[in-house]
Amino acid sequence: MTPLMLGFLGLPLVLVLIFLRVPIGLAMLGVGVFGSWLITGSFNPVSAQFKNLTYSTYASYSLSVVPLFLLMGQFATLGGLSSGLFNAAAAWLGHKRGGVAMAAIGASAGFGAICGSSLATAATMGQVALPELKKYGYSGALSTGTVAAGGTLGILIPPSIILVIFAVLTEQNIAKLFMGAFVPGILAAIGYIIVIMLYVRMVPGSGGVRERLPYGRRFRELAKTWPVLAVFVAVIGGIYAGIFTPTEAAAVGAAGTFLIALAARSLDRKSIVQACLATASATAMIFLIVLGAAALNSFLALSQVPQVLAAWVGEQGFNPWIVMILVLIFYLVMGCVMDSLSMILLTVPIIFPMMSVLDFGLTPDEFGIWFGIIVLIVVEVGLITPPVGMNLFIINSMAPGTRLSDTYRGVLPFVASDMVRTAILVAFPPVTLWLVWMLY
Amino acid sequence: QEVTLRIHQMLPAQATIPAQAIEPWAAKVSDESDGRIKFELYPAMQLGGAPPELFDQAKDGVVDIIWTVLGYTPGRFPKSEVFELPFMIPNGEVGSAAFYNYVQENSADEFAGVHVIALHTHGPGLFHSKEPVTSLEDLNGMKVRGGSRIISDMLAELGAEPIGMPVPQVTEALSKGVIDATTIPWEVTPSLRVAELVQNHTGFTSQYGLYTQTFGFVMNMDSYNNLPDDLKAVIDANSGLETSRMFGRVMDNGDATGLSIAVNAGNNVVQLDEAETARWIEAAGPVVDRWLADMDGQGIDGQSLLDAARAAVAAEM
Amino acid sequence: MFRDESLLGRFIVGMARLMAIAGGLVLLAMVGMIVVSIIGRALLFVGLKPITGDYELVSIGMGFAIFAFMPWAHLTRSHALVALVTDSFGLRVNSWILVITDIMMLAASWFIAWRLYFGMMDKFAYRETTLLLRFPLSWAYAMAFVGAVVMAVVAVYVLGRSLSYAIKGEAEPKQAGAEV
Ligand code: NA
Ligand code: NA
Repeated sequence: MTPLMLGFLGLPLVLVLIFLRVPIGLAMLGVGVFGSWLITGSFNPVSAQFKNLTYSTYASYSLSVVPLFLLMGQFATLGGLSSGLFNAAAAWLGHKRGGVAMAAIGASAGFGAICGSSLATAATMGQVALPELKKYGYSGALSTGTVAAGGTLGILIPPSIILVIFAVLTEQNIAKLFMGAFVPGILAAIGYIIVIMLYVRMVPGSGGVRERLPYGRRFRELAKTWPVLAVFVAVIGGIYAGIFTPTEAAAVGAAGTFLIALAARSLDRKSIVQACLATASATAMIFLIVLGAAALNSFLALSQVPQVLAAWVGEQGFNPWIVMILVLIFYLVMGCVMDSLSMILLTVPIIFPMMSVLDFGLTPDEFGIWFGIIVLIVVEVGLITPPVGMNLFIINSMAPGTRLSDTYRGVLPFVASDMVRTAILVAFPPVTLWLVWMLY
Repeated sequence: QEVTLRIHQMLPAQATIPAQAIEPWAAKVSDESDGRIKFELYPAMQLGGAPPELFDQAKDGVVDIIWTVLGYTPGRFPKSEVFELPFMIPNGEVGSAAFYNYVQENSADEFAGVHVIALHTHGPGLFHSKEPVTSLEDLNGMKVRGGSRIISDMLAELGAEPIGMPVPQVTEALSKGVIDATTIPWEVTPSLRVAELVQNHTGFTSQYGLYTQTFGFVMNMDSYNNLPDDLKAVIDANSGLETSRMFGRVMDNGDATGLSIAVNAGNNVVQLDEAETARWIEAAGPVVDRWLADMDGQGIDGQSLLDAARAAVAAEM
Repeated sequence: MFRDESLLGRFIVGMARLMAIAGGLVLLAMVGMIVVSIIGRALLFVGLKPITGDYELVSIGMGFAIFAFMPWAHLTRSHALVALVTDSFGLRVNSWILVITDIMMLAASWFIAWRLYFGMMDKFAYRETTLLLRFPLSWAYAMAFVGAVVMAVVAVYVLGRSLSYAIKGEAEPKQAGAEV
């Protein structure tokens, strides 16, 4: 078999293994190692490579952002910021029809500004918002759908672990990607709020309202969330201003949320150990996939598949927009059944060079940001599309009495709003890019 | 019999050495072998791993040929490191020829595990700064990026605050004021857009430039030994002193390009006079002393290596 | 024997937990070091300095922490997988699939530890150091190797655990998993 054929077989084989319940990172690692072995015709090269590859993949300065952001999310959760955010959002929105659900979205957006992960945002907000939603008579479907969708704001609004990994993989500028994610993230929150407005009008009696608060009280509740604003400004402002590298910003964020948790008196030996263990699990999960991707990419590069495919796509004179739509459909279908991070690591090394040769009327820099944000959004949608959506599972497990099928049903309107937003961002690249243009 | 050799390195394909030295070299070898040697070029670490692993990738046969900065693995090439000391070489071509000859006579053992195709240096590195640097005192407290241990050591000795960071981050760090200046050769300045970000460039009036780094273009031993004799001969004809000189010349051409961009941009290109240069050479003296002491500590006769290196450079001038 | 409540199980869980906590504390130390370094850099004018080699310290810390996290993640079944298709296969098949994937993880972790050992020996032989601090890379590798060895041991236990459940025809109790 030629290297090229082996390369083209590699990806389907990884998928088969993944669907047979092999841990995703392990499947990529195995196919990568055996594929390289077959292409070079000897076990020595790949075996020699692994003398250093695991160490250098793990001991990466640029990827140190990932565990630091995870740690930051842990301390943010311990600091009890989620209930403060929810109270502030509810003070402003709670008296409107569907207002408690809207408050959950608003609070998720706020939490997303200091947390880089979707599941952590969903789980944290779930603890605070689900009981409130229940208290005011919101249906299980709407409640769980709202919180699951709100959780995706954790990766849509910067900082975002997924964007960090995309940036490292495609050698894009993390700061610019974060700025590019900002407007689409806000649009996502607005879209979700519109969904709730429509939902409560179309399904009468699906949710009650809280009492209307005077403005003085509203501002007082809002003022209490200042630590969130402070950490967000330090982290994102510091990255934008170039005062910090992303790693430094993540460390500053972790230190900031650590202090908040300390002030909230929620740091003790037990909670610190819990934070360490949760960070350990999530970090190890990501880095096994990153290691698998390193092995797989090295095999794919040897097979010449990315190079040949990119050259072929370039020669065909395809309409770039049609290719884009096909790629998005592919991602959306994959997103229904797969986890978003693995999907990026599995496909971006092939898809990104292929897409870069197409002409969307953007500079390479602009294309990188725009495509990165669109990929981020479609994989984020994957977190809430049935049947396999991590946010759906985690929120459903927090809402006893709500069937998974109800959660599926409740999240669909939010998925629909995601589709609309994706279409807007694809059709109008400036929506993503204008903030980047303005700031740089 | 046909062979395909994989060449792995860390820079993008369009960078100076990959585009103007490695690619033409590969084309020439391929041509002279009547197409029996084919090359696959893998830029930007496409085959995986981090740049410091490149040398081992050639040594252990992960790939056939690599090009790397020897300074990526500090401590690995202590005897060859002498060329990184301040004020050693005048330009890339002379530096490269001298470095190749020096290694053959003094530190060939450090390359024992690989087949050397070329060893070379870049042209003299110099200061690129926001504020003009016209005397040693101007450097006081300036945040300057240095690319290697010796360079950082030297910067501290000269009164600057050395900041260590990888080359790709220089552009952003300069534009955001994280650093006030950087030391790099002219060749790298276009790709980092340095002439847009700073307006002052300071070089020296001396036979020798501020500093250089050393590079290796080396082949896996088995990949070489397994070639039939006639193909070995083709590789041999494209290895050694003249090939090293060619790599250095490419660096010099890159320097000329970088310089002309800065001049065309109307930047302030300063060349310090001999008296001022002498002060810098003296101020950098302790760096050389520390290196000598360090070599002593490893049981290596640093002074005779330094003399040999200086003699090798002098012989090329 | 291969139960988390057994003597062996408690020992293995305790060891993996200790490694994970050690890795977490290293991350916390990194946070402190980076913050101090930033402050030093910001206050150059009053004579403070950034920490020399902060980049290197972060990457050495990462090398230790990530290897240290691996055993805990495997033990608590935190690695991402897709159960969509296999969920329809029933308990027996699934418990044996788990055994097979645990064998694969065992092979991978032994391969990684075995190769890392030779990488470490290379670093001892070549005396490579970091750029600015001249910290020996051999030590950095050795620190990482501790985690790799613990992972290799834990992988044996985890395989024993899933095998013993599969033989009894039971499902392994659900573990905490990871949140990302
Ligand atoms: Na976020
Ligand atoms: Na999904």
